[in-house]
Amino acid sequence: MLGVDLMIAGRNLARHTRRNLFLGGALAAVTALLVLLGALTAGMESAMMQSATTLMTGHVNVGGFFKITSGSAAPLVSQYPRVLEAVRAKVPELDYATVRGRGWAKAVSEHVSMDLVLAGVDVAHEPTFRKVLHVVDGDLEALAQPGTVLLFEGQAERLKLKVNDVLTLSAPTARGVNNTADVRVAAIARNVGLLSAFSAFIQADTLRELYGLSPATTGAIHLYLRDPRDAARVAARLRTALAEAGYRVMEPEAQPYWMKLMQTVPSEDWTGQKLDVTTADDEMGQFKQFILALRVVTGLLVVILMVVVVIGILNTLAIAIRERTREIGALRAIGMQRRKVLWLFVLETALLGLLGTAAGVAVALAVAGAVNAAGIALPEAVQVFLAQERLRFLLDPGAIAADALVLAAIAVAASVFPARRAARLKPVTAMHHVG
Amino acid sequence: MSIVSVEHVSKDYMLGKTVVPALRDVSLAVGKGEFLSIAGPSGSGKTTLLNLVGCVDTPSAGRVIVAGQDTARLSERALTELRLRTIGFIFQSFNLVSVLSVFQNVEFPLLLQGGQTRKERAERVLALLDAVGIAEHARHRPSELSGGQRQRVAIARALVTRPALVLADEPTANLDSETGGNIIDLMKEMNRRDGTTFIFSTHDPKVMAHASALVRIEDGRISSREDLDAARRAGGR
Ligand SMILES: Nc1ncnc2c1ncn2[C@@H]1O[C@H](COP(=O)(O)OP(=O)(O)O)[C@@H](O)[C@H]1O
Ligand SMILES: [Mg+2]
Repeated sequence: MLGVDLMIAGRNLARHTRRNLFLGGALAAVTALLVLLGALTAGMESAMMQSATTLMTGHVNVGGFFKITSGSAAPLVSQYPRVLEAVRAKVPELDYATVRGRGWAKAVSEHVSMDLVLAGVDVAHEPTFRKVLHVVDGDLEALAQPGTVLLFEGQAERLKLKVNDVLTLSAPTARGVNNTADVRVAAIARNVGLLSAFSAFIQADTLRELYGLSPATTGAIHLYLRDPRDAARVAARLRTALAEAGYRVMEPEAQPYWMKLMQTVPSEDWTGQKLDVTTADDEMGQFKQFILALRVVTGLLVVILMVVVVIGILNTLAIAIRERTREIGALRAIGMQRRKVLWLFVLETALLGLLGTAAGVAVALAVAGAVNAAGIALPEAVQVFLAQERLRFLLDPGAIAADALVLAAIAVAASVFPARRAARLKPVTAMHHVG
Repeated sequence: MSIVSVEHVSKDYMLGKTVVPALRDVSLAVGKGEFLSIAGPSGSGKTTLLNLVGCVDTPSAGRVIVAGQDTARLSERALTELRLRTIGFIFQSFNLVSVLSVFQNVEFPLLLQGGQTRKERAERVLALLDAVGIAEHARHRPSELSGGQRQRVAIARALVTRPALVLADEPTANLDSETGGNIIDLMKEMNRRDGTTFIFSTHDPKVMAHASALVRIEDGRISSREDLDAARRAGGR
């Protein structure tokens, strides 16, 4: 029976090629749009998280704050080698760990000044640094020398600096005095999205000197796991383990460290050292929100378009039911139950829905594949924003299948109402109808 | 023993705010194996009566009993079942499913009934297509057939479930007189061979002549009932 039902549904669709092609095409277009926008967002997210988890955060970070008075705060982990040792023992998932200084300074060139979030790095021990940083001028290796800094293109432009030029960093220390240091631009790297707008890299010991810190002090330990999905679990485990080892550990809070440094920590009533274990998601919370907003906008757009498609389905079925009134009546008269009439119309729409969404997915895959292969370069302004140089779609089969199924399901749901009306047609009305 | 019993049935239609009485206090009993013709001018109530007997409409007053069941007491589902298993319909304008082949159209009621193998269905359908003389068109679509051929398909579809009762509303009205005659002969043969009860409406005197009984209806009332077989027997003696 299902075979015959499918045949009836399929042939009825085929009988009105033009209007069903139109409807199926609209559904395909919405599907393709949803899949492509989803893949674009996923591509951005993946690119951003990839550069972020190298430049700004590890998969898990063990950072901390040191407060001399309860009203002040410095982003510090003192005696970090001991912390690192304790951490290594508790994280078998660890791929590698890096140590980063954290600071904030006013960068002053001859004419201009700007605020920079500084990360103190030891380039020799940063295995993935060169993969995500595109040095356009100078040399990344030179950043190993004391008194050097790496700027991003935008910053170099703003400060009117070139490689080997010198700039002055002026940093507020914990004691309330401003320390200054002259540093040389070792390298200029291509912008990587929003990250590069405000952050720069400085040789680790130079950062310590700027703040007058001991060699055993750093800003944070970045942990890179073999599988980033373990991050939340590892972070939770570390919080307990470090607390048991006698460290004071802060409650988890999904905020980047500099937000805590500026807002929450100085208002808390304690002094001394506390450790803060965070994940990449915590540190990148605002970017995640941006991605979420993008998803919401995509969703709204798709909802609006689907409303149009649903109206199309309602309309088309209304026409089909009017055209087939006699036929439906005759079938009801020879003994077809109401729910069978309903089923035939729903099946017809389901078939259209599946064909339409499948076509949409096919188009989206073709477009995404072609664009990825062509490596279309994004305009500079967009690059900064998207944290990507090239337009790249990240295709996730699970997400694509879910998109297609949801849209097909909406189409089917839309058909239920008119199909019920068809099922309620009295067989006798159908027979009187002379068409 | 009658297969259909119509008892004091009236049917009013609402046309806007005016009541159109289509049947007025009609009573009629149809015995098993009858080949009954309902004759009357256009608008006299033939279709209305057949619709009530066929359980596709409900009377305004009175009772309709089909195969021993009071149709007023049956649910929509049960009525549909009754139509599927007990009644065969032949419509004036054929009403075949345009997207199915001749074979599939005739097979369709069997599929709705369920409970038969594909082979059993195929045998029954092909035998019937053969009997109504359109076996060679089994794979064609209805749109590829002439009116007479389509009506044969409709007859085959009505008979394929071996219903006890077949209702035909002016089955020859859309056909030329020769084709119409053939169709009546075909129905008559089925009636004779299987004892299927036929009730058909017509206003063609040539068609009426074949009936075993003739009910005349005028202005929503039965004006006469003649037992033509009895008359023939009497005339032949
Ligand atoms: N659906 C309807 N609504 C209103 N009046 C109807 C309807 N169907 C039939 N009638 C009226 O009922 C009467 C009987 O109609 P019908 O049973 O179709 O007669 P016949 O089949 O003998 O031509 C006619 O006067 C017709 O106009
Ligand atoms: Mg009529």
